[in-house]
Amino acid sequence: MTIIKENAPHIHRKDSLARMLVDVLIALAPVAITAVVVYGWAAVRNIGLSAVTMLLSEFVFVLITNRIPYDGTKHGIKEQFLHGCKAYRIHHWLAPLVSAVIFGLIMPSSSDPGYIIYIALILGSLFGIVIGKLVFGGTGQNIFNPAAAGMVFAKLCFGSRYIYGTNGYVNAVTTGGTILINVKDNASILGRYASIGDVSVLDMFLGRIPGTIGEAFKFAIIIGLIYLLIRRAADWRVVVSYLGGYLVLMAIAGAFVATKVPNVNYFQFLGYSMFTGGVLFGATFMFTDPVTMPINAPGRVMYGLLGAGLTAVIRLFGALPEGVAFSILLCNLAAPAMDHYLYSSNKFTRNKLIVMGVLCAVFVLAVCLGLGFQEVVV
Amino acid sequence: MEVPDKLFLTMENGRCAKAESFVKEGDYVYMGQLVGMRDGGFFKQPIHAPCSGVIGGYEQHYHRSGKKVNFLTIYNDHKDQWDPSIKDRSDEEIDRLARADYADILEKTAMVGLGGSSFPTYIKFKNDKKIDVILINGIECEPYINADIRLMNEEMEKIIIGCTYLQKAFSCKKVLICVKKKHGKLISIYRNYLKRFQDCGIEMCPVENFYPQGWEIAMIKSALGIDVPTGHLPSEFGIANFNVSTVWGIYEAVKHNRPVVERRISMTGDGVRFPSNFIVRLGTPLSAVLEKCGGFKHPDKDKVFILGGPMMGASLPSEDCIISKTVTSVLIFDYEDVPESPCIRCGSCVYNCPTGLEPKQIMDAVKAFDKERIKALNPLKCIECGLCTYVCTSHIKVTDFVRRAKIFAKAK
Repeated sequence: MTIIKENAPHIHRKDSLARMLVDVLIALAPVAITAVVVYGWAAVRNIGLSAVTMLLSEFVFVLITNRIPYDGTKHGIKEQFLHGCKAYRIHHWLAPLVSAVIFGLIMPSSSDPGYIIYIALILGSLFGIVIGKLVFGGTGQNIFNPAAAGMVFAKLCFGSRYIYGTNGYVNAVTTGGTILINVKDNASILGRYASIGDVSVLDMFLGRIPGTIGEAFKFAIIIGLIYLLIRRAADWRVVVSYLGGYLVLMAIAGAFVATKVPNVNYFQFLGYSMFTGGVLFGATFMFTDPVTMPINAPGRVMYGLLGAGLTAVIRLFGALPEGVAFSILLCNLAAPAMDHYLYSSNKFTRNKLIVMGVLCAVFVLAVCLGLGFQEVVV
Repeated sequence: MEVPDKLFLTMENGRCAKAESFVKEGDYVYMGQLVGMRDGGFFKQPIHAPCSGVIGGYEQHYHRSGKKVNFLTIYNDHKDQWDPSIKDRSDEEIDRLARADYADILEKTAMVGLGGSSFPTYIKFKNDKKIDVILINGIECEPYINADIRLMNEEMEKIIIGCTYLQKAFSCKKVLICVKKKHGKLISIYRNYLKRFQDCGIEMCPVENFYPQGWEIAMIKSALGIDVPTGHLPSEFGIANFNVSTVWGIYEAVKHNRPVVERRISMTGDGVRFPSNFIVRLGTPLSAVLEKCGGFKHPDKDKVFILGGPMMGASLPSEDCIISKTVTSVLIFDYEDVPESPCIRCGSCVYNCPTGLEPKQIMDAVKAFDKERIKALNPLKCIECGLCTYVCTSHIKVTDFVRRAKIFAKAK
């Protein structure tokens, strides 16, 4: 027995990084299982292929960053390899696995031609993990959410080849892409909403609409969200400010849409806004990624509000059908600025409240001015 | 517990670098007799013998602060004869005492803050600031320890009388005894007892159960709702606060004119076979207490010895240590090496910091050696409560980085 001197405090909470990552995996399980049940092989392929790519990339990263320090003698490859393996810890495979499952779930089920989706999966996950995370130094150092970065990269490169497939369960919409794409195809900003009543909100909630393989199943996502919030693996401030801000902006937009467009119910529009696309999925699994968000409470609220505004604005006026992944990346870029040491603190100071108020006002104004002067062209 | 044959008396301590002794080897001393004087710069502190017996030579042992210092040994004759000059005060005498007299008594009996600060108590009496409310700190917020709660259970009358002395000394009516809410039984016992005295001004004040509620500024905030800014003393706001064991010590000093010769300590932790509370004579070696606890639970495992609570206590380099006045508890843990993971910025440290700092940001600034950033993040507010390390999901020793930041920030 020896007596060891250590600095206070001497006790630690029974909690770990691995526990947090496993919680996210458990929260992802309902979505993943539903996706596998509905899409079958496509879901297994999406998750499996991205998991293999990301885990391998992280393993290679661990080997590269944990070489034997130079000590004059030459070390063989085998020796280097074993030394690197010793540094391989539980979070080195749990963290990329979480990213991979998220990435796999926000990719479509098939493509035209069929092999494109394989390329998209491999290149997208490779870009996400390497450029989105590993070049910054691995877990905890990244600026961008790896899944969002990979998804955006794959979408920009191969997006026009995606097919959001239908099958026995997913058949609420006739042909083509997702509801959002079909709606966006209509040129007029307001007129495009004339046909959203064709699909019931219940169908959207149950995921009976085409979409990426995971994001459509809102009921499963909500189960995951509740689990994450109960386990405190996700920060409720971001979730509440993001979903709340988004809902308020869409409620304002809904007032314009419901009054100007014939045959559009106000609540139908709200349900359409919440339950299509990746809003809920992004709010649950991607906006709550702690690494890429500000560290203090006011910063996190501001982060959620900024994300909500960007998502709403891209969705209403943008060139793309929806902007959750883009708004996540843009918010990731803004996070270090919110953490700047000159004004960062865990208190809601008056200046911060003013900034938040200005932020909200800008987005509310954008929505009002953007929609207010529009005329319906059907 | 019984007093061992040989007691050790520290000469220098954490606050006093110099000391002189008035006795030589072979002298016979009574219990409570003055044997030396510590010099702490702006104050002097008498040293009293904790037992009657014969003075031995000097020995070097570890002090609570982790330094090796000189200890005066006393061979106990087990008679426990108090110094004949120490006499009880009658109630009339006590009634006549003024604030300055209290300061005088407490200076002579070397009362210090028994909560662990070892700050001389008489200095709190020496100024003439008006005190509106006296807070008694019985919160004992660190986990594992409950010696103060035992003291409050067993010495209720003495503590209440001690409170009335404080009322007289500060000519202030309101005394609040702060205890954690979870000790509901203790609170109701005190409340029932206090019903006997009409309008005595002493009240119980249940506070929330969280750590660091015992930090005086957190206690003042939850008991009175006053926010004392960093760098200000509570006395500027008309508040005086004392630990319950200090109140008990004040009672002993004022009523019986005795210095503190024994105190209650908790000996606990998962490395001890029978964790217990003891009344220990000052100067008892740690090994004697440990023997009383049945020794180690797992003798072959590596151990961490902690004097004080598990959150802020000092870790000892060796088990060769002496119980002094300010040791509130001894904790012995089996050493566990928890590997660190990378920080994922979960924000636990930021949300839990009682002073509203951002430990993670301070850690990054320290790693970057960025002095400007460290200063802007104001680490000097830190009270080293250790919560940031405790809550860290990745088991990073964040508090150590904040300590380093404090050194950086202090340097010009």
